[in-house]
This record gives sequence, C-alpha cells and structure tokens, in this order.
Amino acid sequence: MLVSGFRSRTVVRKELEWFPCVPPSSVKMLIDFQWKLGMAVSSDSCRSLKYPYVAVMLKVADHSGQVKNKSFEMTIPQFQNFYRQFKEIAAIIETV
Amino acid sequence: MAGELESCKPLSGLLSGLAQDAFYGHPGITEELLRSQLYPDVPIEEFRPFQAKMRGILKSIASADMDFNQLEAFLTAQTKKQGGITSDQAAVISKFWKSHKTKIRESLMNQSRWDSGLRGLSWRVDGKSQSRHSAEIHTPVAIMELEIGKSGQKQVGVAWAKIRVPFDHTLARQESEFLCLEFDEIKVNQVLKKLSEVEESISTLMQPV
Repeated sequence: MLVSGFRSRTVVRKELEWFPCVPPSSVKMLIDFQWKLGMAVSSDSCRSLKYPYVAVMLKVADHSGQVKNKSFEMTIPQFQNFYRQFKEIAAIIETV
Repeated sequence: MAGELESCKPLSGLLSGLAQDAFYGHPGITEELLRSQLYPDVPIEEFRPFQAKMRGILKSIASADMDFNQLEAFLTAQTKKQGGITSDQAAVISKFWKSHKTKIRESLMNQSRWDSGLRGLSWRVDGKSQSRHSAEIHTPVAIMELEIGKSGQKQVGVAWAKIRVPFDHTLARQESEFLCLEFDEIKVNQVLKKLSEVEESISTLMQPV
C-alpha cells in the first residue's frame, strides 16, 4: 500500500476476518499488566469446584492519556492459548 | 403408576430436562412439561416427589463432582434407602453422569465466574515503514484485540435434551467489550516475561503434593 510516499507492510494478520483498519483513536497503550492465579474451591452451586483460574488486571491509556483498568479471568486452557499467541507475536516481531 | 415411574426409558429424558433447568438455566422446563412429555400417565401428585428425588440426587452428584467410585458408592446407598431408587434407575443415573459430567461441571464453573472472561483474541504485527525523508519512522508493533465479556451465569440451547422446549434467546450472552492494544517489541517481551511467571505458578500449583 503506497500512500503519500509512505510504505508500510502488514507482516502477519491472524484471524482472516478481522477488520484490518483499526482507527488510531481506539488503540490503547498497555501501561501495566498484573496477574493473579486463583483457585475457586467451593460455591453455593457446587461444593467441590476446585478449578484454578488466572485473573488479569490491565492498566491501559488511551490517546488522550486517560488511564483505565480492565480486568478479566481466564481458565487455564485459555491462559495457555493466550501465552502461546504472545510467544508467536514475540517470534514474529523479532524478525520484522 | 409406581410401575411407570420405575420404568427407565423416560428417566434419561427426565435427567436431561432436570439438568437443563438446574445447571443450564433453561427457563422453559417446568414440572408439568416434564410430566406431560415423559410420564403422561402419572398424576402430578405422584410425579412431583419423584422428580424432586431425582433432582436432589443429580444435584448431590454434581455438587460433589463425584468420581466414578464415589458415584457407585453413593448410588448403592440410594438403592438401600427407604423410598430410594431401584438398581435399574441407579444404572441410568450412572450412565447419565458419565456422559454429561464434563459439560455440567463446565456449566457450574461458568456460574461461579463473576468477573468478565476472555472470549476472543485477534492480533497482527505491522512491519517497518519508510518515507522519502527518513529511513525508518516506525518500529514494528503488534496490535492485539481482546474480546472481554461476561459469559453469563446460565447457558442455553444444549442440544442433547430429549424433550421439546421453547428456545429462549433472551438468555444469550451479554455484549462483549473489545479492547485494542498496541505493543512494541519491548512491551511484548515485558508481558511475555510476566506470562512465563504465571506459567511457572501454574506448574507449581499443579504439581502433585
């Protein structure tokens, strides 16, 4: 794609249906990544839960400098997929 | 009528219906629906305590997340109880739990997850750019889109129910939030280091005592 003398190259796009042009205003910067490994032991609906989970707290800043916290949980298989994807990104970004 | 309740043919369907209600939160599973579809010749006053007994047994098994040894011991005890179950009914319940344990457990785990979950992940890496004025104006960046949302405490529409119920779309998953993040190589490696710490903690946790 050649625009006003600039040339950029998208190296790898994962998820073919993903919208390729993300408006810059919607992209946030990661400031901090905090994590917690928890174990849900029991609940009112299940006395024997025993399931581990990874809780993540992201501190992100938007283009205006406003900082927000975003948190979510992952099961262990979800985390392992997340980790694997990050390793892929690291391997690719190193070669670009 | 007691003979009809002891029949094992509709019991499997009853357990499916009870699981839909108790674990999957399907709104259409009423006592009358179950009776009319599975035990049409049994009066409601006889059906009610029977389905309550089966519901109680199923909930006990699920709550304790019984393995197969525990299940066998539990069901054997139920067959010896006054007003318990027959050994044929125990066999149907055992077969049901073995087939559906994983799905039911997954549903119970989802019900206890109250924070948002990671529903989806997409990413791309943008390469170097050049201009006629400078050799390199952009370093490579990764752009990642995280789909975050509450899974909802109840799921619907599990296909293995053996009874016909109206499908309620209002219990569909709540809307996701899409978080788009940009990472340069340094940031990617910083996060990767943190993720390796998580992985190490998981390994420590999962080690047999």
